[in-house]
Amino acid sequence: MPHLSWHDCRVDIFVVTVGLGDKIAEEWEPLRKQRFILAVSALSLIATVAFSDANAQDKTIKIGALFPMSGPGAYFGAQDKQGVELALEQVNKEGVNGYKFTIQYEDSACAPLPASQAAKRLLDQYKPDVIIGEECSDATLAIMPIIAQAKVPLLNAGSSSIKITEPGNPYTFRILPDEVMQGVDLATQAYNKLNARTAVLLYENTNSGIGNAKVFKDTFEKLGGKIIADIGFGRDVNDFTAIATRVAGAGKADVIPTYTLEGQGLKITQALAQAGVTKGGGGSAIQLGTIWLPFGFEQKAGKAAEGYVRIVQFDPTDTRPVVKNFISAFKAKFNADPTHLNAHAYDQIMLIADAVKRGAKDAQSMRDTLAATKDFQGVTGSVEFNKHNQNIKMDTIHYMRTEPDLSWTALKWN
Amino acid sequence: MTATIVAQQIINGVVLGSLYVLVALGLTLIYGVLVQINFAHADFVTLGAFAAYFFMHLLGGSYLASIAVALLVGALLGVAINLAIFAPLRHKGSELLPLIATIGVSTMMQNAMLAVFGPVPYAFETPYSQRVFRVAGTFFTEQSVIIVLVSIATIALLYAFMKFTFLGKALRAVAQDRETAGLMGINPNYLIMLTIVLSSALAGMAGAMLAPVLVLTPFAGTSVIVKAFAIVIIGGFGNVEGTILAGLLVGLIESFTTQYLDPGLIDIVVFGLLLLMLVFRPTGLISERREENV
Repeated sequence: MPHLSWHDCRVDIFVVTVGLGDKIAEEWEPLRKQRFILAVSALSLIATVAFSDANAQDKTIKIGALFPMSGPGAYFGAQDKQGVELALEQVNKEGVNGYKFTIQYEDSACAPLPASQAAKRLLDQYKPDVIIGEECSDATLAIMPIIAQAKVPLLNAGSSSIKITEPGNPYTFRILPDEVMQGVDLATQAYNKLNARTAVLLYENTNSGIGNAKVFKDTFEKLGGKIIADIGFGRDVNDFTAIATRVAGAGKADVIPTYTLEGQGLKITQALAQAGVTKGGGGSAIQLGTIWLPFGFEQKAGKAAEGYVRIVQFDPTDTRPVVKNFISAFKAKFNADPTHLNAHAYDQIMLIADAVKRGAKDAQSMRDTLAATKDFQGVTGSVEFNKHNQNIKMDTIHYMRTEPDLSWTALKWN
Repeated sequence: MTATIVAQQIINGVVLGSLYVLVALGLTLIYGVLVQINFAHADFVTLGAFAAYFFMHLLGGSYLASIAVALLVGALLGVAINLAIFAPLRHKGSELLPLIATIGVSTMMQNAMLAVFGPVPYAFETPYSQRVFRVAGTFFTEQSVIIVLVSIATIALLYAFMKFTFLGKALRAVAQDRETAGLMGINPNYLIMLTIVLSSALAGMAGAMLAPVLVLTPFAGTSVIVKAFAIVIIGGFGNVEGTILAGLLVGLIESFTTQYLDPGLIDIVVFGLLLLMLVFRPTGLISERREENV
């Protein structure tokens, strides 16, 4: 069925009516009157059907997706896309309030410049009602003003920098706990539950890495803990043996909060074990992490990951029906267990669908409806935005510990 | 404690430097003979890494054999690139065209590898990467020992090839003066092909050596190539001995900057040294006339 607009339909009806009017003037005969009325009725019906069909076709929510699909963060994009595709398949089965959902992906590459270019391309060419992404905080911070200027809401699920929502802008929403929520909780749990008194900070030199490490440091020191080494590094560092040597020489560390992407995370974990610092290498230090790492990290890192305690955004042992249904649907579609990236991308689409159910139909109403979200139940946890559009629910923070057989134990600290 | 840390960082620096040397050798060879820069060198390294990975994980081959496989894949890639790009463009007489073409090859290869291998980092574990030796407070893996030994062997073989074989001497002759070498009966096209194949084979092998150390993704090579270019410049464009020295120096600088300054300052220190070299000693660590580099 070709796509028709309001304007197209009006023109069609007009042409049909005028054409028939001429015919009436020339060939008016009482016997034909009945047939004429029937014909007009039939044509009107066709026009009405065509018009309502066109109207239904127009009821589409356009979602723009800014995901890293190249560079070191490309694994984010690949897994986000799976979550999105599953959610779209489900919501488009019957539609929501008569709306269907379409999506266009752009590669934002986890970096400010390509992300800005991708955002502009998306806004100019696709004109979305809502945008989801990015994953990396630096990229998200770069696209926020561009998207806000176009008055389109941006729904983020993967960037933790506090600068995204503080002071934030009215068009940016975040469903994951920010770096302060995560960092304060992580430091407090490390101090209280793990009895940690000394820590070494390892982090990539990005807004998010620096921000996360700073929050941990401030909270941990306030509680009485001591930071014995504070080590930031670039994303181009490959060999972490030198850093592990420095950590080993810094003194006894109880915990090592680490903020990196998956690739560097693997190498750090292995290097710390080789240096005999962490439990995986026969040492006593416990590596701590946040939601940066995907599922499967432990299997790649091997024995070195033993004892790793980290926040995950999605608890696969959660017994809520929404989680169970998501896991079974994901396995059926992709023949694999879902990761937290799959889960938070799925939640982004489901939250958008929920907003449409509550009346959102374009960019502005989407923004307003998202802002009014209260107790949305996603697979990663629940969502309620504060005045800065930050999700305030702490049930999105799940702690997991890696056991010697590389399985997880849910620590249920929150 | 301090002495142990210094010793440990020397070990770390030598291992890392050996890896850099392996990557930079191919670059310096191709520059020394052809006066050309291959921007796709990083991607040859990455492809070599993937070749070794799949040889081990799909075909069940040993790691040591996978090094040879990666070397072979690199060599074959060199033949293909020379026939498809370098040779035709060389005949057009422009030095800029092959340079731009290598940028195109690099982008093409990265995206092809992204499409085929996907973006998720691979964990390239060898039986040697988790075996740790602890000696007098220091530690190193068996993998590190292999890296250093393979680097030494490669350097020695390359050196012997250049100094003592007819082909090596012919290569040096082409590097000194392509036209005169042709008049002496040396076929420059054949030797140019040989250079590109050698350089690519070295890149492939470097990939197999780097893969267990770096984060294996389709963009893996790009993370070391900038350092490799810096090493080539610091060592003296096209100078093999200079490249070896510079590679080890950069490895040690990284280790000691990490220990005593900050790992975030590594690039500032390395590229600061590069700028100083360009200003005060543009011929590189080992100064000699360019014509005699290789």
